[in-house]
Amino acid sequence: MKRRDFMISAAGGVAGLALLPRMSFAAEGVIDWYTSSDSNILDFWTNTVKPAFEAANPGVSINLVDAGDGAGIIAIGERAIAAKQQGADPQADFFESGDALLPSGAIEAGVYANIAEAGLTNYSKVNPLAIQSDYSLPYRGSQVLLAYDSTKLSAADAPKNWDELVAWIKANPGQFVYNRPDKGGSGGNFVRRAIHQANGLDPAAFTVDNYTEEFGNEALGKAWAILSDIAPSLYDGGAYSSGNTQSIQLLAQGVVTMAPVWSDQVLQAIDQGVLPAETGLVQLQDLALAGGFTRSIVIENGVNRDAALKLADFILSEEIQSAILTELGGFPGVSWDYVSAELRERFADIVPLTIPTFPGGAWDGAINDGWYRNVAPNVDRNA
Amino acid sequence: MTDAAEGAKRPLIEGAASRRPTGLLLVAIPVFLVGWLVIWPIINAIGRTLWRPDASGTMGFDLSSYVFFFSDQYSINNLTITLWTTLMCAILLLVICLPIALYLRFSHGRLPAYVQALAIFPMFVPSIILAYAFIRVLGPNGMVDILLNSVGLPKIRTPYLTPWGPVIGLVWDNIPLTVLILLSGLGNVANHAIEAARDVGANRLQVFWHIILPRISNSLLVAISFAVLGIFSSFTLPYLLGPAAPEMMGPFMNRTFREVNDPLNAITQAVITFGFCIAFGLFYVRSVARNQGQ
Repeated sequence: MKRRDFMISAAGGVAGLALLPRMSFAAEGVIDWYTSSDSNILDFWTNTVKPAFEAANPGVSINLVDAGDGAGIIAIGERAIAAKQQGADPQADFFESGDALLPSGAIEAGVYANIAEAGLTNYSKVNPLAIQSDYSLPYRGSQVLLAYDSTKLSAADAPKNWDELVAWIKANPGQFVYNRPDKGGSGGNFVRRAIHQANGLDPAAFTVDNYTEEFGNEALGKAWAILSDIAPSLYDGGAYSSGNTQSIQLLAQGVVTMAPVWSDQVLQAIDQGVLPAETGLVQLQDLALAGGFTRSIVIENGVNRDAALKLADFILSEEIQSAILTELGGFPGVSWDYVSAELRERFADIVPLTIPTFPGGAWDGAINDGWYRNVAPNVDRNA
Repeated sequence: MTDAAEGAKRPLIEGAASRRPTGLLLVAIPVFLVGWLVIWPIINAIGRTLWRPDASGTMGFDLSSYVFFFSDQYSINNLTITLWTTLMCAILLLVICLPIALYLRFSHGRLPAYVQALAIFPMFVPSIILAYAFIRVLGPNGMVDILLNSVGLPKIRTPYLTPWGPVIGLVWDNIPLTVLILLSGLGNVANHAIEAARDVGANRLQVFWHIILPRISNSLLVAISFAVLGIFSSFTLPYLLGPAAPEMMGPFMNRTFREVNDPLNAITQAVITFGFCIAFGLFYVRSVARNQGQ
């Protein structure tokens, strides 16, 4: 090829690449769907929700896209705001998981649909404990439980409250591990449970906007003392795994006897044989470990807004809510009264009577920084 | 270089002025990208940490985030563990890779080819896979423990979640590059020089010390500075294999930025990390410049 030909074709190629993203438009009837959740959720949507929804709504399909993490969803939210301002197409209709408050100003800009007033037939079934905003729809939840190896610890001896748990950890040094609070919610909510413990077991004491440095230092400082106290009795004299999966791996390899785990992850792990069937699950009865709901968002200015609202209504149906329990191992976003009695019976272990939650916002940063500074380094592991 | 230029029908480097714009054009894109994606963010980061609004909102010169970093024992510990990990990796890499490279340079046949393939293999393994493989093999109750247990030996003290975890992972990860650079350096050692030394009665150690080492000192420097630059700012392996605290600068920066929501201190940590890396980078640049000058 002559050099000039090469330059021309190369230039043509570059120009084509530059034009390519502009040429993709959101298609009518194809819901552009984004998630920041783990791959088990994407699998669940691919194999269960998408076929069921498309069968029930001929002519409408869902384009499932993994946005990576929370920051990915926020970036697409920002794109929707920009598109709204220019009257353009945001190329997004539905966020599987999102925070209606992020990116800030999205609600004010009219980018997120008001789900409470959208007239969803199933909206009244949603668990009132889970509703945080009119602009997001809690459709599935999961909670942190304690998983243990029932060959080493009988169900009767499994700790039922915090004091028993601490006593058990100290009596069995090296047999408990939790992951770093910022690296996964199982360890994160274990740490938050310690914060609840240190502050009178009152989840209401912490709200999204009541963080002050003074209150934070006082409330968290007491929790750091509790966690530092048990640190020498943890796995390897105070080592912390680097994520939810790694905790499950240590449990699976028989290295530790007990670890805090997400309900959905542990049920799947047992189902897939990653964890043996003898894995026991227990929830603390004095105050459950904190959990959380995943909230979906519908984009108001999306091309398929109405279809996306239909999808939002669909995921609250008994069919999908039951599948969340049986296939995903999560717990439903609707109140337990709307789940079949048979399932309610079967999942009695993980049915939360209360769902303590812990606010995000400034508390997150304070907990993540404080734990690393005060709990993680305290132990001289070579001693 | 000179041999190749003489041997070619057309000189490889043409002086004709007509060629110059094409050459400049070809360099322009990488230079522009480096300027835009590397140099500008560095200047921006330094500027943003030094020149920023104070409590009252007036812009001014402010060193406080750096003062905080160097007066904060937690940050100092993280910097120290990063330097320690880098140093340990550099030493281990030299100890492991130099013998491999020497062996590959001075032996022939089928076996060295297999050894070379094995030494290059880590290059094709993504570090996240490596980390999980490491946990399965060297982790608690991993394969090594199972093998030891089957012959009645006690378990090893696993390096997982200790400072040695990232060291082992990073060394394994950096073997291919180090071996390749050392091997190319050893190509400069002429066989007749070694034979001449042997003829006058030099033993193996003397040949290595007086003939080989002086010739590959440049490659050694390049190999070590490459490895050190990568290791100092590594993320995945320290994140998955290292202890919660102290943590290496890579995970520390990422956590400060994302989890603690503290961009100012994250950028300060990045600038300090960059400061150390530029010191290592200068070794490399100096060595290359010296090489070109020869």
